[in-house]
Amino acid sequence: MAAIENGSVTSSSRRADRSLLAAALLLPGVLPLAQQAHAEAAPEQAVVAAKVLDYQDRQPGLERTHVQAPAVYLLLPIRGEWSLEASLVQDSVSGASPRYHTSISSASRQTERRSAGDVKLTHYAARQSWYAGAAVSDEHDFHSRALSGGASFSSEDNNRTLNLGAAFTEDRIGATGDPTLDARRRTMQVMGGVTQNVSPRDIVQGSLTLSRGTGFYDDPYKFPDHRPDQRNQLVAAARWNHHVESHGATLRSGYRYYADSFGIRAHTVDAEWVQPVGSRWRITPGVRYYTQQAARFYVDPVYDAVLGEPFPPGWTPGTISSPDQRLSAFGALSASLKLDVTLDAAWAMDLKLERYEQRADWRLGGKGSPGLAPFSARWVQLGVSYRF
Amino acid sequence: MLPATQGQAGAEDFEFDAMACPCVLHLAGDDDEAARTHRAVAAQAAIAEVRRIEAKYSRYRADSVVSHINATAGTGKRVAVDEETAQLLNYAHRLYCDSDGLFDISSGVLRRAWDFRNPALPDKHHLESLLSCVGWSSVKWDGDSVGLPRTGMELDFGGFGKEYAADRAAALLIERGVVHGYVNLGGDIRVLGPRPDGSPWRLGVQHPRNAGSLLAELPLSGGALATSGDYERYFELDGQRYCHVLNPRTGFPVRYWQSVSVAAPLCSAAGALCTIAMLYESQGLEFLARQGEAFLAVDHVGRLHRQDITELCT
Amino acid sequence: MNVRLRVIAGLTLAASLTACAQWQVQPPAAWERGLLAKPEMRIEGDPLQERFDQHIHMSKENASGGSGIGGGGCGCN
Repeated sequence: MAAIENGSVTSSSRRADRSLLAAALLLPGVLPLAQQAHAEAAPEQAVVAAKVLDYQDRQPGLERTHVQAPAVYLLLPIRGEWSLEASLVQDSVSGASPRYHTSISSASRQTERRSAGDVKLTHYAARQSWYAGAAVSDEHDFHSRALSGGASFSSEDNNRTLNLGAAFTEDRIGATGDPTLDARRRTMQVMGGVTQNVSPRDIVQGSLTLSRGTGFYDDPYKFPDHRPDQRNQLVAAARWNHHVESHGATLRSGYRYYADSFGIRAHTVDAEWVQPVGSRWRITPGVRYYTQQAARFYVDPVYDAVLGEPFPPGWTPGTISSPDQRLSAFGALSASLKLDVTLDAAWAMDLKLERYEQRADWRLGGKGSPGLAPFSARWVQLGVSYRF
Repeated sequence: MLPATQGQAGAEDFEFDAMACPCVLHLAGDDDEAARTHRAVAAQAAIAEVRRIEAKYSRYRADSVVSHINATAGTGKRVAVDEETAQLLNYAHRLYCDSDGLFDISSGVLRRAWDFRNPALPDKHHLESLLSCVGWSSVKWDGDSVGLPRTGMELDFGGFGKEYAADRAAALLIERGVVHGYVNLGGDIRVLGPRPDGSPWRLGVQHPRNAGSLLAELPLSGGALATSGDYERYFELDGQRYCHVLNPRTGFPVRYWQSVSVAAPLCSAAGALCTIAMLYESQGLEFLARQGEAFLAVDHVGRLHRQDITELCT
Repeated sequence: MNVRLRVIAGLTLAASLTACAQWQVQPPAAWERGLLAKPEMRIEGDPLQERFDQHIHMSKENASGGSGIGGGGCGCN
């Protein structure tokens, strides 16, 4: 009697021709689209999605910030060879404005509105695709415009894709309390990456992004804050998605290294486990750890003996320095939980909760910047999507 | 694929007749109303696709592409064909080359020499005149248009049309999210995915000599299974069996194999492989071993030959 | 980053690459890519979630980028 074994057909252990199978694979439509020869294919379905964000953060001694932001997204395949993607977000921010050196209480409170939108048009051809995109972001004191473009090229077996991209951004900066401020900065960015199907269960991607920006980088709401007028950045990132057969789940993980000419070095590690439950539900717990080294010109809350607060020791007009907590050395940890449900062939909903905490002590190696209070935030995202 | 799920699983059989054989789509999944409706809608689309292919390539329909081509035989005219037909003709050409000319889609005319309801050998001259109309190498195919140089020549897609339709129907169902079940067109089977609980389907292979019993039950979670045999249409004369699989060079039926079954990722490949193995006769084993797909075959004395096939205990 | 951390990072990378090598590392044939087509196996995630998360991280941390969503700065300097 033959032993019972799973009878799925595999090709692994044979040194065989399989020329006839190769010929059959060229016939049109014999494999579902997802497995077909052309990996660079326009999406099969259109998607309309909406999501709302409710964000709150707090720091001891300061008022909380509260943001509510609805957003919409559209993906439209056009005539099999094109696709259009567009999104629109509207943030409503209320609460304390960003402050410096938490030992000094902050100034005004404001209610901010930010609107942002982006569009992207992609053209698909055999084993390659090309895209062009534009993005805008507007707040009362900050306006940003960006243009981007790029292409992807797949290898003959469609297991490897080369991704290239470039973007150009122009920002205009103002300040509520200073009507004379009208500064600009421009950033040029190039990106290259490779996505590789490593096995029937693994996809990896590596990428490198380089940016060069010139212009105004000071934060007009902090004093004294004067930064270099050029910033070069390098980001090296890797992602790995692994399907875990025993649980029907997927482990998604990534690492990102960041370095810039302000002297900041940062590492980000994240992982999430997508676990299907039944045929309609998925639950995804996730974790993320971030650590950064302080900028060269970041100053701790230690003040000049003669000038006193807020001037750092030895400060003169024109000194490059900043007390901005975002440039300090710290670590941050966050945990998230997402639930999504497929209601039917067209509708799906998702809910994600995330808790984030930032502390100087949590910096990798332990030497975080002194004098900074822990910062914590929590946000909830509720979304719905419709495919047609 | 998925671990044991909450909720009941249900399955339906969508039966229909096409390509002169009984067909069924066995689709499984959640047992609720919405899921069942979704499967029914997808099944109708898949059945429509099978009928579309039948209508387009059946030589019994005067308005089919094949009939249109066959009507120009001997006139010197060439017929421009669409992308789908071009790919099928390219495939037929590959099969001709990979089988040393044994798989020949111009050999359909030979069936006129054999009447399986009437146990008698064909008239020698009749067979010879039919043989002069056979030969893919003389068919004019340049990738865009096809021409049949001699009157009486015919192309017949029957040797791979059903398998192609099974693959197309299955791909369509998978794209629509129906991933548990299989498509069975008269014994040519393409599996969409395993049962809802992740276990494979148990697909039976007909015993070549005992009607009503199985030769084997093969577990499949994906891919396709096709079978060729000498028992579908045949007659016996003076203790010799004459079946419907005809050698294109002699015009006579093949004799070596009682049955050949092949499991491969595509039904189009599985079907072509078992037909060609039948046509290769005693060299069939070598051909199958060279190609590398899993197979189960019974030779003329009833001996079982297999490669990479695992059977279920019954 | 100091030398000690660099060495640890390098050894961790080497160890994980060795572990990876024991798993099946053979690019899949066309019909073996079924699992890779699942939405959770795509490198990009939910588009709106990515935009929200990235904007929040960018406003609280200094590092940004590396995920391919092009352009569109924010006023969080």
